Amino acid sequence: MRVIWLQSDLDGPPPTVAAHAATWIISQAELSVTHLEQAGGLVTGRPLDQNALLALRPAIEAFLDRGGRWFFNGHVVRPLIDGLAPFEPMAMPKRPDFDQTRLAPHPIFDGIEIGKLETNKGVAGFYGRGANPMPPGAIAVTGLRGGTVPVDWVWCRPRGGRVFSHAGNDLGQMGLEWGLAALLQTRILDWAAGGACLCD
Amino acid sequence: MRLIAPCSGTYYQIEALEAPRYARFFDHVIAPEALAGVLTPGDCLFVPCRTPAQRMIAQKDVISQHLAKGGTVAAMGESHSELWLPHVTFHERPTNWWWWLEPGADLGNRVIASDHPLMRDIGKPEITWHLHGHFDPPEGTDVLATDSEGRAILYLDEVSTPGRMVVTSLDPIYHHGSHFMPATTRFLDRFLPNLKVWLQE
Repeated sequence: MRVIWLQSDLDGPPPTVAAHAATWIISQAELSVTHLEQAGGLVTGRPLDQNALLALRPAIEAFLDRGGRWFFNGHVVRPLIDGLAPFEPMAMPKRPDFDQTRLAPHPIFDGIEIGKLETNKGVAGFYGRGANPMPPGAIAVTGLRGGTVPVDWVWCRPRGGRVFSHAGNDLGQMGLEWGLAALLQTRILDWAAGGACLCD
Repeated sequence: MRLIAPCSGTYYQIEALEAPRYARFFDHVIAPEALAGVLTPGDCLFVPCRTPAQRMIAQKDVISQHLAKGGTVAAMGESHSELWLPHVTFHERPTNWWWWLEPGADLGNRVIASDHPLMRDIGKPEITWHLHGHFDPPEGTDVLATDSEGRAILYLDEVSTPGRMVVTSLDPIYHHGSHFMPATTRFLDRFLPNLKVWLQE
């Protein structure tokens, strides 16, 4: 199954992503309905052009209806599909608010010590500073602010397909100082290609 | 004197350019690909932080023509202005975002032209979060802020083209638009009104 790794900026994917068997690198300027019809997964990142993707909303909905999986990194600011709502930042966050709580055992995080994703060189806040509101029926995976802010969630859509929302800098860039970034990149692609999920 | 911002549709640009705090400063927010035919010589093209460089590289001719007619360009940090603006030499450096964890730490950024209208009410605290690099500004430009080694991180070039280029390696739009790093909001609270006033002068 092919997973579109959408390239929205000048830089190509990291080596681990480029080497993954499912990876299909598509420039966002070139992304078409045909690409989405031929893919089973989609990974979008921080530089995603949400204005441009909004123009493909029917194709994204159809991709998901067919059982597609979309791993979304970042803050939702446009109504990209039914069920997504604008990012809500935590009000006046303090350091303890960035401590993470594992709310559900998603395979992407299997065996990864949660504290290793909380800080980068001792600085917290890169992982996420709020949440994309969960659609009804979504399952919270990672929480901030004592578990009350679902920075990560997965949604098994009633109409088909799944969406994983990570509301922060790209998840595949986390845990750098622990050597976890490449592992996360692989697992994101594995999931988008139809790998194990909470809904199974 | 309009402030025109090419928006690449990223969440941080949309938040910074469209949310009520700063939306009033921007007269026109459009996709980079829609710039042709829009700019007039009195306009300032404000290229926000972390604009994917290929979007602006494709507009190099539009930008060159704007500068040739006396127009203004403000190129914000991490937009790789060296790839689409003339006469820009940038030196990227690894980013130290944890510098402030050490006692007595000082990133070393300095405002060196505090009397310049673009820098009104902007001091060291408002330009201090982290750095991505510095520039070799052409001879005759006005350096407005420097790093700890006196190298330019914000300058005004009125000599290289018939137009004006405000060039910086500071990336406040990205961080403000990501709800991350309050100093970047304090910088924009001052820099955007300063820019509008300066453009009217």
